[in-house]
Amino acid sequence: MRPTRHRMAVQRAAITGLLALSLGGCITSRVEDARVNKTGLKEGDTVVVMAKSYHQGNETESDYISCIENALARGGSGLNVIPRQQFVDALFPWFEPRTAPAETKGLTGLMKRPGVAETVEDLGVRYIIWLDGDTERVAQGGSLSCAVGPGGGGCFGFAWWQNDAGYEATVWDLVGYESAGTVSADVSGTSFMPAIVLPIPLIARTQTKACKGLAQQLRAFITQ
Amino acid sequence: MIANQRFTLLVSLLALLAAGCSSTVTMEMPTIPEPHMAKIPVDVAVRIPAQFQDFTHEENVLGKEAWTIKLGSANAIFFTQLFGYMFDNVVVLGPDDDARNYQFDALIEPSIEGFEFSVPSQSKTETFAVWIRYRMQIYDSIGNNAANWTVSAYGKSQKEGLGGSDSLRRAAILAMRDAAALIIMQLDKVTKISALADGPLATPEETMAAGDAPDLDDADLDEPIDYGIFAIGGIADETN
Repeated sequence: MRPTRHRMAVQRAAITGLLALSLGGCITSRVEDARVNKTGLKEGDTVVVMAKSYHQGNETESDYISCIENALARGGSGLNVIPRQQFVDALFPWFEPRTAPAETKGLTGLMKRPGVAETVEDLGVRYIIWLDGDTERVAQGGSLSCAVGPGGGGCFGFAWWQNDAGYEATVWDLVGYESAGTVSADVSGTSFMPAIVLPIPLIARTQTKACKGLAQQLRAFITQ
Repeated sequence: MIANQRFTLLVSLLALLAAGCSSTVTMEMPTIPEPHMAKIPVDVAVRIPAQFQDFTHEENVLGKEAWTIKLGSANAIFFTQLFGYMFDNVVVLGPDDDARNYQFDALIEPSIEGFEFSVPSQSKTETFAVWIRYRMQIYDSIGNNAANWTVSAYGKSQKEGLGGSDSLRRAAILAMRDAAALIIMQLDKVTKISALADGPLATPEETMAAGDAPDLDDADLDEPIDYGIFAIGGIADETN
């Protein structure tokens, strides 16, 4: 009796796992760019990905920035990406949240400061990518409850939630001290969790989708 | 015997529960990168106050958890390093050292005037934030109070992991870096410390009493500062 019950439980768990892996929530996404100037990379050119300052109210998540860095650097045609902390430390204190230039017109004065232009040249940084935006939960509903008793436990109900990810990447060209343009990603994802004894999470990976989409478009934008 | 064991178990459980409601963050020794700046040609003495040797801040979030930040001697190390980068010659004085035994153009006395932080349960965001308010008192070589300047610094870090201790520590480090950036950019402009290389403000007879120096909060400055250069989030071209 016991082995049969155990086998059934294992089968149920396996089916749930497979369902969760094969199914996901609903995602809609839009990625677009607006070019202002020509771009391109030479041998040895690098890029750095930065978040716009939190002094200006920006809330871009650090794991999203890391995701963009990794996605840009990945693959055979990956870009040379300088880790942002290395860049910020090398140019201290001119890219701290308080001091980082908010507009390209500040670059001319910044490059005249002692050692700044030399450090940028040593690092080979051609483009600074400024990220702005975040992922927010905009709606949620349903109800799901779980109970455990002497004879076992289970969950019943249905819950859903919607996350919206809106990010914009502004590309600055450090050769001409000008903006090359912007790339933006707007992704909306709705996740569901029905539960009949076992909860089945159908998760919409909104932020991951926004990362992949933006990084792909950014790479194409920079390399043309 | 059994009663003793039960008592020990009960105390252990209570200790575990209490630990679950409080967090202690200990600062590691902070380092700031060498700044890109021209050194200020002034011989300075820096008096490290006693509060910088072992600074601890405790805060109880009402009805929730208690947080303790142990900055320890982080501020002493931070200011010693910072002024070492900023000035040609720096002498570090302890809280009990007599400044009259040393030669310098200017004496800087930093102190912490305020320390605050917020955790996600307070701010209803996924971030930890730290505010530090430093006061910089500057004296000339004969003890005239040349300037009082309040430096308000801010650091914010996103919640990572379960406890949040690392995030709060990171926010504190960012606040100290923010203070460093502000001090590097504005110290000479606000306090005119470089002028003290030419000699003290006045002879001892003419001197004003210590503490009479103007308080240089941003709003109190008589002479307008070029905030275009130092405004948060942007550095305007100085040639403009």
